[in-house]
Amino acid sequence: MKKRILILYLIFVCTTLWAGNPEDKKYLLTTNLNSVGFSTISMTDPYLSPTNYSGIGLNYSHEDRRFFNPENTTLSMQDKLVLSSGLMLNPIGNSALTYLGFNYGWGINYSFRLRKDIRVLGGGLWDVDFGFKYMARNINNPANVDLATNLNLTGLLQYDIQTRRRTMKLEMALQSPILGCMYVPLGGASYYDMFELGSFTSAIHASTLFNKRGLLQTYAISIPFNQVVWRFGLRFNNLIYKANDMVFTKNEYSLLIGTTFDAIHFGGRKKTAPQNFISTNE
Amino acid sequence: MKKILILLTFSVVLLPSCIDEPELQPNTYKGNFEALWKIIDTKYCYLDYKNINWDSIHSVYKSRVDTVSGNIHFFDLMGAMLNELKDGHVNLYSDFDKSRYWKWFTDYPSNFSSSLITSDRYLGDDYRMAGGFMYKTINNGTVGYMYYDDFSDSFSDANIVAILKSFSACKGLIIDVRNNGGGYLDLSEKLASYFFPEEKITGYITHKTGLGHSDFSTPVAVKTPAHKTIQWQRPVIILTNRMSYSATNSFVSRMKLAPKAIIVGDQTGGGGGLPLSSELPNGWLVRFSAEPMYDAGMQHIEWGISPTVKVDMSATDEANGYDTIIEKAISLIK
Repeated sequence: MKKRILILYLIFVCTTLWAGNPEDKKYLLTTNLNSVGFSTISMTDPYLSPTNYSGIGLNYSHEDRRFFNPENTTLSMQDKLVLSSGLMLNPIGNSALTYLGFNYGWGINYSFRLRKDIRVLGGGLWDVDFGFKYMARNINNPANVDLATNLNLTGLLQYDIQTRRRTMKLEMALQSPILGCMYVPLGGASYYDMFELGSFTSAIHASTLFNKRGLLQTYAISIPFNQVVWRFGLRFNNLIYKANDMVFTKNEYSLLIGTTFDAIHFGGRKKTAPQNFISTNE
Repeated sequence: MKKILILLTFSVVLLPSCIDEPELQPNTYKGNFEALWKIIDTKYCYLDYKNINWDSIHSVYKSRVDTVSGNIHFFDLMGAMLNELKDGHVNLYSDFDKSRYWKWFTDYPSNFSSSLITSDRYLGDDYRMAGGFMYKTINNGTVGYMYYDDFSDSFSDANIVAILKSFSACKGLIIDVRNNGGGYLDLSEKLASYFFPEEKITGYITHKTGLGHSDFSTPVAVKTPAHKTIQWQRPVIILTNRMSYSATNSFVSRMKLAPKAIIVGDQTGGGGGLPLSSELPNGWLVRFSAEPMYDAGMQHIEWGISPTVKVDMSATDEANGYDTIIEKAISLIK
């Protein structure tokens, strides 16, 4: 009798495992972080004025991360998009500088765990940075454009804080430009000269740590509630670069609020959703 | 691998700065004086061309700054320092005043009377207006006359077509740009393009490439294109006086090379440096010539362009209701 029961048990276990295989297929989730930031911002753009302008800003940032391969959880990729704006005044308050910025980056990270509750991601990120600055009262040089592409070194430290009801994530992220190139006009050249007549002398520069230094620091905490994971944080963006005898600075301190969620991506001919996923698009 | 990543992260954070932020001048009379002096020293484009010893001007005015009593006094002193540059494109703007150098026209005959050009002999009171131009046929319908007083007043091809169509029976055209103090360079190029049958190099421009007084880029050719569909290929007379300045100066420089154009009147006022602006610690704005422009022979046009036919207004003609310069232009068209 015991033998029969044992044989029946083994058959049950084996068939159950076999039947369970399709559900065990691993899917790659994409971690999405969306946040808006309210900031204080200050800038110096000697092309427009030697004076430092300071004021307030608003920004939106989106970041997503996912592993390349479900079987290898060490290498992941990330996309970053930051849209920012600012309105600044000179110290006297009689001239305004309007700023609009766009930054997109794509990077690869290597991740590992220092401890069960501490995860480290380190890697590189290539980004494209665009900024438009407008100073209405200037004559023939009312605007300047920032245009740069950089290879950045990135690092992220995640610490899981376990409480009785939830696991919160504390994050510290760092990003710094290492190499790249940037557009900086000559201080004595007008945009009429550059764009109407095509005179771009000395406008494109290689950037290294010797002429461009920056550090983007983000400190955030993600707190899961019933239906959503809220994310609160601080971001410090400090940048200084020099070209054509001019030193440009940007310092932005943001208070962030946003959400974090994991999603799975289906699309195209090969990445179709399984039958038990219902879409409004079908 | 872990150690390398951590080390790299910290090396970026701790790497000592290689870029020194320039020291900003304090918002004091002395600080503002030094800031203004430096802006001109490093960015103004005619210090060498005009043989100005800017260092000695620093010495002269620095001692005067110590005796300044109040903002208005300081403003006047800085305005006087800027006037040493003898440049109509150099101004200091404060909340209460704008410094200016006007000797480029106040030291010369005006050669223009607005009441004369709006008299019945010329525009009268039934002239038409399009795109900033006042226009009418004069001299019994044989001459088209258009007055343009501001190169900031934009115009379209449709405006020009309408104007030239109304002059279709005329033997020639007069474009009066006297007392036109300038505006947009684009418009000076656009207006000239109606008189060039083919693209031509009509000048050059350079800009500063460094902080030194003679650090300039290689000259870039300024071309006047031929308008593809609208062309006036009969005589065109450009009327100028000493108040034809800046973008108007550039227009006259271009038109001097137009095949059927004649420049009549007085020398233009100049203003050959494209101005840019900067700011002092006290918030005052300073405008200065930054990019020198040249004619097609690489000669500076800062001091103006001489006319092909030099004519001054005669007081007798003026008293009799005649504009000597317009009359000369009419006679050249006949």
